[in-house]
Amino acid sequence: MVVAHDFLYQKPSTLLDALKLRAQYGEKCSLLAGGTDLVVNIKERRISPDIVIDIKGIPEFSILEERDGSIFIGSAITFTELIESPLIKSRVPIIAESAHTVASVGVRNRATLVGNICSAVPSLDSAPALLVYKTDVVVESVDGKRIIPIDKWFVAPKKTALQNNEIVLGVLVEIPNSENGTAYMKLGRYSGEDLAQAGVGIMISKNLEYKIAFCAVGPVPRRALKVEAFLNGKEFSSITNELSEIIQSEISPITDIRASKEYRRHMVDVLVERGIKLALSRLQGE
Amino acid sequence: MSKYRFVGKGVERIDGREKVSGAAIYTDDLEFGPDLLYAEIVESSEAHAKIVSIDVTEAEKVEGVVQIFTGKDFPYKFGLYMKDRYIFAQDIVRFIGEQVAAVVARDPKAAKKAAELIKIEYELLTPVFSQMDAISENPVLLHPDLGEYPHVPWFFPKENTNIAHWRKTKRGDLDGGFKDADLILEETFEVPRYAHCAIETHVVISKYDYSGRLTVWASSQSPYTQRHLFAEALAPLGIKHKDVRVIAPHVGGGFGGKAGVTMEILAAALATKMKGHPVKIRWSREQEFYNTYQRLGVVAKLKLGLKKDGSITALQHQLYWDAGAYVEYGANVVNAVGLSATGPYKIPAISIDSLCIYTNLPPGGAYRGFGYSEFLFGLESLMDQAAEKLGIDAVEFRLKNAISKGDTLAYGAHMNPNGLKQAITEVAKEIEWGKEVVSIDPEKVLCKGFSLLWKAPAMPPNASSSAFIKFNEDGSLNILVSGMDIGQGYLTVMAQIAAEILSVPPNKIRVENPDTDRNPYEWQTVASHVTWSCGNAVKKAAIHIREQIFDLMERAFKVSKDNFYLEDDGVKSHLDPSFYLAFKDFVVFGIPMDDGSFRGGPITGVGTFLPEFSSAKSDPETGQGGHPNVHYTVGAAAVLLEVDKKSGQIKVLKAVEAIDAGQAINPDLVKGQITGGLLQGLATVLYEDMRFNDKGRLLNPNFTDYKIPTTKDIPEEIVPIIIEVPQPDGPFGARGVGEQTMIPVAPMIANALYNGLGIRIKSMPITAEKVAMAILEKEKN
Repeated sequence: MVVAHDFLYQKPSTLLDALKLRAQYGEKCSLLAGGTDLVVNIKERRISPDIVIDIKGIPEFSILEERDGSIFIGSAITFTELIESPLIKSRVPIIAESAHTVASVGVRNRATLVGNICSAVPSLDSAPALLVYKTDVVVESVDGKRIIPIDKWFVAPKKTALQNNEIVLGVLVEIPNSENGTAYMKLGRYSGEDLAQAGVGIMISKNLEYKIAFCAVGPVPRRALKVEAFLNGKEFSSITNELSEIIQSEISPITDIRASKEYRRHMVDVLVERGIKLALSRLQGE
Repeated sequence: MSKYRFVGKGVERIDGREKVSGAAIYTDDLEFGPDLLYAEIVESSEAHAKIVSIDVTEAEKVEGVVQIFTGKDFPYKFGLYMKDRYIFAQDIVRFIGEQVAAVVARDPKAAKKAAELIKIEYELLTPVFSQMDAISENPVLLHPDLGEYPHVPWFFPKENTNIAHWRKTKRGDLDGGFKDADLILEETFEVPRYAHCAIETHVVISKYDYSGRLTVWASSQSPYTQRHLFAEALAPLGIKHKDVRVIAPHVGGGFGGKAGVTMEILAAALATKMKGHPVKIRWSREQEFYNTYQRLGVVAKLKLGLKKDGSITALQHQLYWDAGAYVEYGANVVNAVGLSATGPYKIPAISIDSLCIYTNLPPGGAYRGFGYSEFLFGLESLMDQAAEKLGIDAVEFRLKNAISKGDTLAYGAHMNPNGLKQAITEVAKEIEWGKEVVSIDPEKVLCKGFSLLWKAPAMPPNASSSAFIKFNEDGSLNILVSGMDIGQGYLTVMAQIAAEILSVPPNKIRVENPDTDRNPYEWQTVASHVTWSCGNAVKKAAIHIREQIFDLMERAFKVSKDNFYLEDDGVKSHLDPSFYLAFKDFVVFGIPMDDGSFRGGPITGVGTFLPEFSSAKSDPETGQGGHPNVHYTVGAAAVLLEVDKKSGQIKVLKAVEAIDAGQAINPDLVKGQITGGLLQGLATVLYEDMRFNDKGRLLNPNFTDYKIPTTKDIPEEIVPIIIEVPQPDGPFGARGVGEQTMIPVAPMIANALYNGLGIRIKSMPITAEKVAMAILEKEKN
C-alpha cells in the first residue's frame, strides 16, 4: 500500500502536549487511535492532514473503569477490549454485543469505540448501544473540559459536535439502575464483516420502559423517542400497524450501494420486533 | 480398490509443506536490489473519450521520478484471440481505469505522487454501458476499425457494428420443433459482471538487459502464452521468442483472472525503455477489480418447446454478452457458450446465437466457468419451470432428458462417455429429493433446489502441453512442466501420474512452477484442461523413460525387453523373480559391464500432447462440421436452504455435488475443488454485487462493498461425490473438474427459492434484499 501524501507524525506522551498540538494545527490535524478508518482515508485521498497525532502513548486514553455508577471508556480502548471486559459484559452488555458486530477480529483488535463515534458515519454500530444508555462524551481542549451528551454528539453524516481544538478523552456510560434486557440487531449483507444496512439498539427495563435507537436509517444515529413513548408501559407481542407507522415516521433511510430505502424500511420493523422479543427474553433470564 | 498404486489416492500435496511453512515464494516476495524501479499507472477518468493532451510538466519535477511514458511510446497492439487493444491507450480511452500513461520512479511513493500530477485533457465521446444499447439502431461505434482487427479464424466480427463476434450454432428443424411442442416457455435472464477476487493481486517485474534479453516475473496462469504475446507485441523492437523468458513463482489464486495477458504487458513494455533496470508494477485491490478482466455480463433470451411427456422438442437460446471495452480474450467466452448453450440435454432442434458486444466497461475475460455459469442460470431455471408446468418432478425431468454417450451435440459431434445419470441419481438420494422438509421456526422456510452442470474446455484446437522428466542420481525425479499450480493441486497430480508409470513414489518427485527457459511448452492453465492435457504429456514422458529403461535392460542383459517391468523404484523381471535393479543404481551412472565399460547414461523423458481430433473449422452460419470441444465434464448438484421469510437471508444447510472426474487422480483434491467451487458459486449468487454509476465508474472495487464469503458464510454441510466414467483419451481416464464445480450453484439456489417460496428470480445476484422484496411483492398480489 502506497500512501503518497506527506504528513507529520507525532506521538505525545502527555495529554497537555497532545492538546497543544491539537490547538496549534486545528482542522489540519487528524487524531490516530486505531487508525482503521484514518489510514484508509489518507490512502484514498479523502483527507490530507498536515499532522497525525497518535494518542496511544497517553495513559489517560487507555482507561476502562467504573466511576461513580458510570463506566468510563477511554479513547484508545479497542472493541476487542470491550468484548473481553467482564465489566462491560455484566453492566452494559449491549456495548459488547454491538462491538462484536464491528468488522472482523483483526480490525476489532485495533479499532476503538471512540474512533467509531468520531467517524460519525450513519451506519456506526456503537451508536445505538451508547444511545440507549445515558452516555456523555468527555472532550478536552487547552481551554478546559466539556461534556457532550451522546444525543447531541452526532450533528450530520460524518460530522460531530467536536470542535477542532478538542480531543475526546472517552465516553462515560451511566449504568442503568434497574434490571433490564438489551439487544443490538444488525442487518448485514452476509454473516461476515459488514457495515450495517440497518441497526437497532434496544433496552427494556423491568417496569417496561423502552429505549430504542437506530443507525443506518437516517443521516445520523438517533433515539426513536416517539416509538419509546408509544411502547412505554405496554406489554409487547408483535408489531401493529400503528406501531409500524410510528417507526416509519422516525426513520429516513436512503438507497445506497448497501441497500434500498424500501428494504431498510421493511427491515427496521422486523428488527424492532425481533429485537424487543430478544431483549425481553434476556430480561426474563431466558 | 483402486487398480493403481498412486493414481486414485489422496497423496499429500507436494507443495503443501512449502506453502504451510511460509517457504513458498510469491512474485511480490522476490528481491531485485537497488536498481529496481517502480511504475505507477495513470488511468483514464472517462469511459469513452478522445485524449486531447497529456501534460507531464509538474509530474516530472517530483524527486525520484525517472521517466514518464504515454501511449505514443508504445504504438503496439496485443491480444490473445483478437488484437483489439494497445499496450497504452493511443488516441481513445474506452473504459474508466484504462492505462493512459506510466510514471517510472525510484520508489512507489514518488511514482504515485507524480501520477497524480499528470494532467490529461479529454474530449468526451458518448459512452455505451449496456450491450442492448450497443446493438440498438445507429449505436455509437466503439471500435470503428473492427473490420481490420486480426483475429482467430473461428471468430466472426460484424464490421460497422459493436458486435465483435457472433457464434451461431443451428441444428435440426427449429420451427418444426416449436410447432410440435405442447408447451412453449419464453424467458429472459440477466447475469451481471463479476470479479475473481484472488487474494493475491496481479504483480509483475520485468527486466530488459543490455544483451537484449527480456525477463518477466509474473503472478500468472499462462507463462507461455504471456511469453508469446510479449514477443508478438514487442517484435517491432527486434525481440524474438528466445529472448523472452517468463518466470512464474507461486500464485495466490487465479480463477481465470491471471490467464492471458493484462497488466503484465505494461511492465514488459516499460522495461524495454529502462535497460538494465527491473521495473515493478503491483496492482492495488481497486485496480485488480477494474483493470484485469471481469467476468462478462449477459442477457439471455430462451425459448423452450416441450411435449406433454416431458421430452424437449426445441431450444432457441440468444445470448447478448456485455464483453467490455476490449474482447481479445472475452470473445472466446462468448464462442464457448455459443457451442454449448444447450446444457447437458438431448435436444433435436437447436438455435444458439451468442453475441460478443463491446461496451465502455472494463474488459471481460476468462473467469472460472468461462460463460457456462452464466448461461446455465437461465437454462436450468427454465428447465425447472418446464418440469413444473408439465407436472413432472424436476429430477425425473432431468433423468429423462439428460444427454448420453453418443448423443449428437449442438455442433454435430458426439457426446463422450459420462456418468450424468448416475450423478443425478446419487445427488437426489443424498439430498433426499422428494422428502418434504419443514422448518420449526414459523419465520423460516426450508427448501431444496436441483441443477445439472456441464462444461467443456474452451481451447483452440491446437492447445497443447509438453513435459520433461529427468532422473536424478538417487532415483528421484524432477518433472518439468509449464502449467501452474493455482491451488488446484496440479503439481501433485502430475507427480502421481509419473509415479504410476515409473513406480517412483510421489514423495520422491519434485514438480515446480515454471521458467519458460527451462520448462517445455504449455498453452495455459485454464479451461480445466491441465490434468487431462498436461497429464497426458507427463504420462507420455514417463512412458518414454520406461521404454528407454527396457531398451537399456535388453542391451545390458541380453534378455528381451518384454520381460521387464517397473516396481518398487526399480526394474524387475518376469523371468527371474530374484532380479531387481534399483533406479538409483543406473539411471544416471549407467549399468556396469563385465569389461568395465558402462551402458546407458542419464535418462530423461519427453512427452507432448495435442488433441489431434479437435477442429474449430465449421460453417459460420450453423457451427456444424468441426469438433471444437474435446469433451464435456458433467455432474449434478442440489442444496437444502433455510430462508428467512422476512429478511430474505439464506443459509445453506446442505450442498451436494456429484461430478464425473473420469478418474480422480487425487480424490482429496477433487473434493477440495468441489468445496471451493461451490463456495465461489454461492458467492456469485448470494453476495457479490458489482455496481457501476451512470458514468461507467465501478462503485465497489473493494471488499467493503463487494462481498465474498467468510468462514461464517460457508454451508453447514458439503457432500462431494466423485463419479468415475473414464475419459478414453485422458490420463488413466481423467478429465478436468476445476471450473465445473461452481457452475450449477446459481440455478439451484433460484430453483430452491421457487420451490420453497413460489418466487422466481431471473436476475443475479440473489441477495437477501432481492428475496425479501420478491416475497413482499408476491404477498401484495
